[in-house]
Amino acid sequence: MNIVCKWLCVGINPAARPGKGKAQIQHSLQRLISAFILFFCTSLAASAASFELPPLMQPASSEHHPGKVIWVDLVTSDLDGAKRFYSSLFGWTYKDVNAGELNYAIALLDGRPVAGLFSRQPPRDESKRPAWLTFIAVPDVDATTQLSVKNGARILFQPRTYPKRGRQAVFADPQGAVFAVLASASGDPPDVLALPGEWIWSSLITTDPDNDAAFYQTLFGYTVFPQPADDGQEHLLLATDDSARASINPLPANAPKQRPHWLNFVRVTDAVATAAQVKMLGGRVLVEPRPDRHGGQVAVVADPAGAVFGLLEWVDSDNKEVAK
Amino acid sequence: MTGPGYPWFTRMLSVLLLALLQACAVNGEGYDTVGVSYGVGFYEPYGYEYGGWGPNYMVVPPRHNGVWRNDPNRFIGGRRAGAPAPSYRPADPSRRMPSIPSRSRRR
Repeated sequence: MNIVCKWLCVGINPAARPGKGKAQIQHSLQRLISAFILFFCTSLAASAASFELPPLMQPASSEHHPGKVIWVDLVTSDLDGAKRFYSSLFGWTYKDVNAGELNYAIALLDGRPVAGLFSRQPPRDESKRPAWLTFIAVPDVDATTQLSVKNGARILFQPRTYPKRGRQAVFADPQGAVFAVLASASGDPPDVLALPGEWIWSSLITTDPDNDAAFYQTLFGYTVFPQPADDGQEHLLLATDDSARASINPLPANAPKQRPHWLNFVRVTDAVATAAQVKMLGGRVLVEPRPDRHGGQVAVVADPAGAVFGLLEWVDSDNKEVAK
Repeated sequence: MTGPGYPWFTRMLSVLLLALLQACAVNGEGYDTVGVSYGVGFYEPYGYEYGGWGPNYMVVPPRHNGVWRNDPNRFIGGRRAGAPAPSYRPADPSRRMPSIPSRSRRR
């Protein structure tokens, strides 16, 4: 950089000027343009450097749970609207992380990070909508990237390190569902029961549960439990560390326009009341509250900008009978 | 390009190159020299109606007291007994299906 500064200073050193009048003005102008470009590029670099994602765990955890959904990010065009909606619904508060044009907010519940909300204008193609992105824990992002590609995934964002957060990458699985992997620099969240307002469960809704299960099993080492189902379709549950992590379900046959996607569920105490509140806050109820095999209700809703997520009732005690 | 007529251009190009190199170095990875894009900007396809879940469409695991039963007369994972082997390795039928972690958070 010192060399560049010296070079620029030549412009104001009369001894170095090659001529006078028009030529002198031209040289000054040229150096001014150069200085502007230099300033622009270094500013850009500086703003990139100042963007730091906070760690997942504070204090750091020694736990690691490959295959566990450990983080979710919302990519939305209306950050303020999303903040208001989720704050009213779940009591989330926010810590802003700004860098240049980037606006990113960490959603907190009782001071613990629960999600990231990321502001981004939609692409010109208007047939897109905001979405929640699912991050699955891995010990080695680069090894997972190689394995993903080898097994038919597409890389959407190459592995990248954020010093405090860890290393992460984003993929589309062989059926097209988008997911991310994260090797957290501060360890993974412990395997505890989520509190109301926290993420508790995830489902992959896909065109080919059988092959997707093989894909995710290869990546994360899941134990796959086929579930008894009376509809003749394949419903699977994925587990690691003797904990259920996610389900794989087929795309409903009567919804041919749907595409494979990950769906994340927030724990609620009353799915019917929360779904009603979603409507009141400007969101939509996409799947009305309905009983599931755990004995509680589940529902699927969308926030006012269209990002889809689930609601899942779960009681603390283990004395509730399984739905038959 | 490097002749006496274009010295200012080559110098400007050098500065630009130097600045870009610096940007890459600061970002560490260099794949995204713009840097400020966090890298998760994706939007899902829009324009379809969600839902279509039938009465037996279930997504949640049973609770801990639930027993995963390998009843050969029932559908198991959409496959009747004797159906072709799945692409994945299924859990041993004797294994109990784990549930969502139930341990309370330490305060």
